Amino acid sequence: MMQGLGTIVVQVLRFLLYVLVHMLIVSRLPSLFGVGWCFFYVGFLLFLPIATPIVALLVLSFATGFAMDLFYDTGGVHAAAAVLLGYLRPWVLRLLTPRDGYDAQDSVNIHQMGWQWYLVYTALLLVLHHTVFFFLELGSLRVVGLTLLKILVSTLFTGITLLIVQLVFFPARRRR
Amino acid sequence: MRNLLTFLFRYRGILVFVLLEIVSLVLLIRNSAYQRAAFFNSANAYTGRVLEVRTQIYDYFRLVDVNKALVTENAQLRQQLYHSELSSRMPDSLAMPGDSTGTRLKADSLMLGLRLLPSRPTEYPLIPARVINQSLRRVDNYLTLNVGSAQGVQPGMGVLTTAGVVGRVRQVSEHYATVTSLLHSKTTISAKLKRDGTFGTIRWLGDDPTHASLDYIPRQNVLVRGDTVVTSGYNAIFPEGVMIGTVDRFTKEPDKNFWTVQVHLAVNFSNLSYVYVIGPQPRAAERDTLETRSGMRPAAAAKGEEEQP
Repeated sequence: MMQGLGTIVVQVLRFLLYVLVHMLIVSRLPSLFGVGWCFFYVGFLLFLPIATPIVALLVLSFATGFAMDLFYDTGGVHAAAAVLLGYLRPWVLRLLTPRDGYDAQDSVNIHQMGWQWYLVYTALLLVLHHTVFFFLELGSLRVVGLTLLKILVSTLFTGITLLIVQLVFFPARRRR
Repeated sequence: MRNLLTFLFRYRGILVFVLLEIVSLVLLIRNSAYQRAAFFNSANAYTGRVLEVRTQIYDYFRLVDVNKALVTENAQLRQQLYHSELSSRMPDSLAMPGDSTGTRLKADSLMLGLRLLPSRPTEYPLIPARVINQSLRRVDNYLTLNVGSAQGVQPGMGVLTTAGVVGRVRQVSEHYATVTSLLHSKTTISAKLKRDGTFGTIRWLGDDPTHASLDYIPRQNVLVRGDTVVTSGYNAIFPEGVMIGTVDRFTKEPDKNFWTVQVHLAVNFSNLSYVYVIGPQPRAAERDTLETRSGMRPAAAAKGEEEQP
């Protein structure tokens, strides 16, 4: 029980940290060649514990996306994309299950799960998220080429930022 | 009943997912509806406060640029001041009607987009504001200003800089306002060519923040590269003759009755910091007719400043 409460407190702090860092620092970064943005807040959703219940995951996704929508004045674009990300995350995790299944201590950590697992996991989810985001934002299929470029560059930008976060802030030792 | 609960529990993932997606899309659609009231936006008191703090922090890093912009604006203002001084000195020896001291009383005015606008008129206010949040490269771009209903800003007012037209006020809270930028897929501004007065409509195509398109210029009209495009004054948001941009490219397309014109926008949207919110225009025509008829002023003066190009 105490442990559950502790987890909730830690996740709320992580939520605030990611959202504030995104709004105060990352959102003011210049866009990369006018086509690449860093969706730093997605890191909060990607790095949630593997065993997060689906309903909690969806609610957290919505809350994160909605917070971004408030700041960017985008209505519900971020929220819609984030909720889809939250829904698809367990599927991707299932797709990438190691041969002997996930251990209780496993988390989304490049040191624990290996770089191949990590890269496929982030790349898949980021591409899905950014595709939904940019096409929803556009509201049509008018400039498909430019939008695909935006998706690609933004995925690389966000992916590299989150990789740095992983390498710097996540514990390297295996806790077994 | 138990079966229902089991069903709900079993499919809780997809149910919550669909519910939250519907909520998101409803928010999105409500937001897209131009000028529609929505509570969740960055004019909200809490988000506005966060954005203002962020602006304060980042202002320190932008001081050099802001200073440069202010120095340029100062130089322009000084130039205007010098001019008006000259012009007021010339007729000094002549008797000025209604002025016994010999000094000419002139309304303070600001040069906004090629147009001299009085800064303290009685009918409509000109409210200086600071841009505290802005997007540029999205399909629908918005700005947030640090003025709100407390300063007299109302939804629908126009927003200008010294260079020209920026957008329209969308929503207002007590101390903040959101602005639908000119760079918004649903913004249209009634415009005309300054040279021959042909009317058209300015619309942004959603890709390049330095250009917009000018629609409905009949193809028999002659266009020149560099033609000035100004507001027409047909809608009461902007006064007539405020700079929008200059004609950059124009092509004739075989299946259309109108030119396809690309206009280079006068405002550089990438470094907006100070703007002016302008109130709705007074009903100039109605007022002039009435005042002339009731003999309050002579017919010649009734032509008024509003009709100057």
